[in-house]
Amino acid sequence: MFLGVDWGAFVVVFLVALAATAVIVTSFALGIRAFAAGAEEPAGAGAGPGPGPGADGGTAAVAAGPVSRPAGATAAGLACFAVGVAAVLYGLWMIVPQFH
Amino acid sequence: MDVLVTVMLVIVVALVFDFTNGFHDTANAMATSVATGALRPKVAVLISAVLNLVGAFLSTEVASTVSNGLIREGEGGVQVTPVMIFAGLVGAVLWNLATWYLGLPSSSSHALFGGLIGAAVIGAGIGSVDFAVVLSKVVLPAIISPVVAGVVALVATYAAYRITRQATLRGSTAAFRHGQTVSASLVSLAHGTNDAQKTMGVITLTLIAAGYQGAGTGPQLWVIVACGLAIALGTYLGGWRIMRTVGKRITDVKAPQGFAAETSSAATILISSHLGFALSTTQVTSGSIVGAGLGAKLATVHWGVVGKIASAWVFTLPAAALVGGVSAWLASTSTAGLVVVALLALGGGLAFAFLARRHPVTHETVNDGDEAPAAAQPAGASRQQGE
Repeated sequence: MFLGVDWGAFVVVFLVALAATAVIVTSFALGIRAFAAGAEEPAGAGAGPGPGPGADGGTAAVAAGPVSRPAGATAAGLACFAVGVAAVLYGLWMIVPQFH
Repeated sequence: MDVLVTVMLVIVVALVFDFTNGFHDTANAMATSVATGALRPKVAVLISAVLNLVGAFLSTEVASTVSNGLIREGEGGVQVTPVMIFAGLVGAVLWNLATWYLGLPSSSSHALFGGLIGAAVIGAGIGSVDFAVVLSKVVLPAIISPVVAGVVALVATYAAYRITRQATLRGSTAAFRHGQTVSASLVSLAHGTNDAQKTMGVITLTLIAAGYQGAGTGPQLWVIVACGLAIALGTYLGGWRIMRTVGKRITDVKAPQGFAAETSSAATILISSHLGFALSTTQVTSGSIVGAGLGAKLATVHWGVVGKIASAWVFTLPAAALVGGVSAWLASTSTAGLVVVALLALGGGLAFAFLARRHPVTHETVNDGDEAPAAAQPAGASRQQGE
């Protein structure tokens, strides 16, 4: 306790939030990557690196033809997205006081 | 009779405060979703409003004191009177409207604390305020929360871009938008459970203090319904001015950044409330967005805007305290003084609404990112730009 603040609690919040967010965002991004496997690079992908205006035109990327994706990649992608779903359910459990 | 008038005024102003709270904080959850196009503006505020309403019904346990220990209440301390609560609420509402007019996100809870502190200083002297608690519960968390959330969001944004090859992979933008919608919805629900409850507490404690309700009892059904509806209506009408600042002007938020920022905010808010010291939604989400701006290549953080927001936070407590103090001074004279304060507050609120109408920000212009204020243009021109 210094200046009346429980600094340890802040450190705990920081570390847990960092770990949880890193796991969720990483698995979600890996899920995207797995689902994109086998697909050709979408047109215009090279043109807009990073958060440029080109990268935001997601509809073009979504609309690009059928995907020939290996079954393993599909399974891995689903597993990755499942982490996100589990996190959301846990979040709901934390929010709703009636659950605990 | 006087007590009844005071209590009725407190309830009305408390509900107005609740409304401005929703109005102000729509931006926290939904600004990034609106900015990235994950949700159409009207849909975003509707989702947020419904979740705030649901949240209000989920969590109805009220605090035992209005000020959470900032004012030495109870035995050996001062009695927080309904007039002081009224004056504090007036200060909070006017500060919320001022920051809304300027398009700056700021914590509604801090405005309320400021207003109450001002009213307590006038009503019961400077000794009634516990400044150590002000430092530990208000000032320091306001500095730490955005930093914590910002670092988390920075790391998350970097990872999101890195893994998806700067979001060029097939479907990545669409996927990030979906993910962002979900995490923003969690932020909205958490907001409803936290913030509607504060107003319920204020009204319930006032009813108890005035003898209309037994001590230690929870909020009555009509109080829960009224608070839930007030915050939901405020959320739905949407503080577009603040949303534009948060979604477009701190940094131009893209889908991966929005997803990373909202996930960081949701995690930080949920974990801190789970550990028993809920951090301010406004401070966490603002920090997350700055972090998301810093974590992406080629993204620019407009530090001028960040500086304006930071100074608004510095002024929140003293400014609301000043208005709360003056209101308490006027209102404590007589019932007539109380009514005069109510009328002046109404006039002040209408003045801000009138000023805002001169260069409005609507759901159509909420994504105008130019730093050049739309203020300088006629309303018609800026509306066309938004389409």
